[in-house]
Amino acid sequence: MPYRFIDHPADIGIHIVSKDRRGLFEEAAYAIIDILGAKCPDKDLQNQNITVEGLDLADTMVRWLQELLYHIEVKDLRVFSIKIDRIQETGLNAWVTGNHSSTGLEKEIKAVTYHNLEILEVDNHFETTIIFDT
Amino acid sequence: MERIRIKRIDPYRLEIMQIPPMRTNGIVYANADIERSLGKEAAIEQVANVACLPGIVGSCLAMPDIHWGYGFPIGGVAAFSTSDGIISPGGVGYDINCGIRCISTSLCAHEVLPVIERLLAGLYRNIPSGVGSVNKALQVGKKEFGDVLVNGASWAVKKGFTPLADLEAHEDRGCIEGANPDMVSVRAVERGLPQLGTLGSGNHFLELDVVDEIIDPETAKAFGLFQDQIVVLVHTGSRGLGHQVCDDYVHSMLGSAHKYKIDLPDRQLACAPFSSSHGRAYWGAMAAAANFAFANRELVTFLIRETFEEVFNRGCEKMGMGLLYDCCHNIAKKEGIVLKGQKKEVCIHRKGATRAFPPGDLRLPGRFRATGQPVLVPGDMGRYSFILAGADNAHETFFSACHGAGRLLSRRQAKKLSKGRSILDELKRKNILAMAASRVTLAEEIPEAYKDVSEVVDTIAGAGIARVVARLVPVAMVKG
Repeated sequence: MPYRFIDHPADIGIHIVSKDRRGLFEEAAYAIIDILGAKCPDKDLQNQNITVEGLDLADTMVRWLQELLYHIEVKDLRVFSIKIDRIQETGLNAWVTGNHSSTGLEKEIKAVTYHNLEILEVDNHFETTIIFDT
Repeated sequence: MERIRIKRIDPYRLEIMQIPPMRTNGIVYANADIERSLGKEAAIEQVANVACLPGIVGSCLAMPDIHWGYGFPIGGVAAFSTSDGIISPGGVGYDINCGIRCISTSLCAHEVLPVIERLLAGLYRNIPSGVGSVNKALQVGKKEFGDVLVNGASWAVKKGFTPLADLEAHEDRGCIEGANPDMVSVRAVERGLPQLGTLGSGNHFLELDVVDEIIDPETAKAFGLFQDQIVVLVHTGSRGLGHQVCDDYVHSMLGSAHKYKIDLPDRQLACAPFSSSHGRAYWGAMAAAANFAFANRELVTFLIRETFEEVFNRGCEKMGMGLLYDCCHNIAKKEGIVLKGQKKEVCIHRKGATRAFPPGDLRLPGRFRATGQPVLVPGDMGRYSFILAGADNAHETFFSACHGAGRLLSRRQAKKLSKGRSILDELKRKNILAMAASRVTLAEEIPEAYKDVSEVVDTIAGAGIARVVARLVPVAMVKG
């Protein structure tokens, strides 16, 4: 698993490491999909475009995951794959491939928090820790 | 910030010494055991971070159920001047006006226990619970939804869901003034509209309890509590609507922090001056979400009463099903305080803390003026909960007390610990029946995941903030 859970008494935390920014943002999205139980099989797939803007890279991460969370929880989006095709300090554009289904979710995430959120570039790789309010 | 230093003041209080850039000191209500459990937590640092925010009044506080949150610690209480202080969505939390209420009954355990399985099954069937739960039977239109957001519990009275007499058993009669639905985003309404009248998931619950010990007989009598009585606890909040409101305003206040020259030690502490356009907009949206939560708990209560009527074939009035009290524990309130002899209006943030007005407080309705406000402190699902009453030293916490046991283990640790165990069977062996929408929730909520709430309550009582009135033990519960 390219991300690992960290212990947080009230909530869920994940630590992600990736060789590039794009991978970091994609892995964060897959983590949220795993936690929610929002995966879908390779069937009746459609592509959905998601664009978000942020104040900086960390804010872009929160906005990206919150946008995905909204589509999953409110619009019943279930996800097969994710591809980020443009990423900058202040925004990204992604294609989410999946379908819409009212299949129940396993877990509720109230929000993606900014708590101590930093996106670090260390020794030619990127890493971050994200706390979800559950 | 330099290294944080902590000094013990007395058996119930710790002081976090003020060091730059803190604007005040911190006081944590903790006995020696709670202090030991804090050793490995970042919660103390979070109290110190909150103490850095502009316009903080008095000390920055934490109740004995303190634990690591995000931005503010859970159990945190901080008051900010409404003239030159801030308001922070992170200081309220994502589940705006998450709260707990206690519904009394005149029924004794021996009347309820023979039908407890049928009663629990009815409650589970009639009250939507679990992840993303919606209430299709009680849907309101978008236009009426505005009325819910402005009027809270009064909306439920007007619609016949709540008896008028219940209103005085709420903080602020179940309505936070200044709600402005125009400040609530389309997304927040979209998330909240179908969820009115639902319990939700996570640590939200509905519980039938027996009063197993009366500790303060006089106050218990005034609260209508007696030995072996059945009462119902309901713990839920503003659901997706509150989550979205918090999200929207943390983001907008992060963008405006530079404009207001606010240096944030943690982005989750995003805030704006209370009197600024950003501050006023958040107040309007937060009050609307808080009113949604009041209305949500009213509807859940209505469904509980209906279920009791179905099972016992009697009107709920004949079963004495009045509201004892409804406590908010994630909220910001405008309240008047007296500090060093001077009256001041402050915006008190209680994030995982309960208001606790003492005896004689004129803001309490006549029914509670002699006793102090009821303070409901739920424990974990396998042990006990407590009913307290605000006491004389509550002025030192801006009239705030603890809100629960406080988590000890992360959800992941709790799941690990419950692997291979049947939590339902374990509870059954303790004569507690449980129904849960999700096994995962049940595993995350095991009793060992929480501190012993009696330690939390003993600390708050020892400090003279609240008095212990009665102890409740669970007999049946619905977990989200």
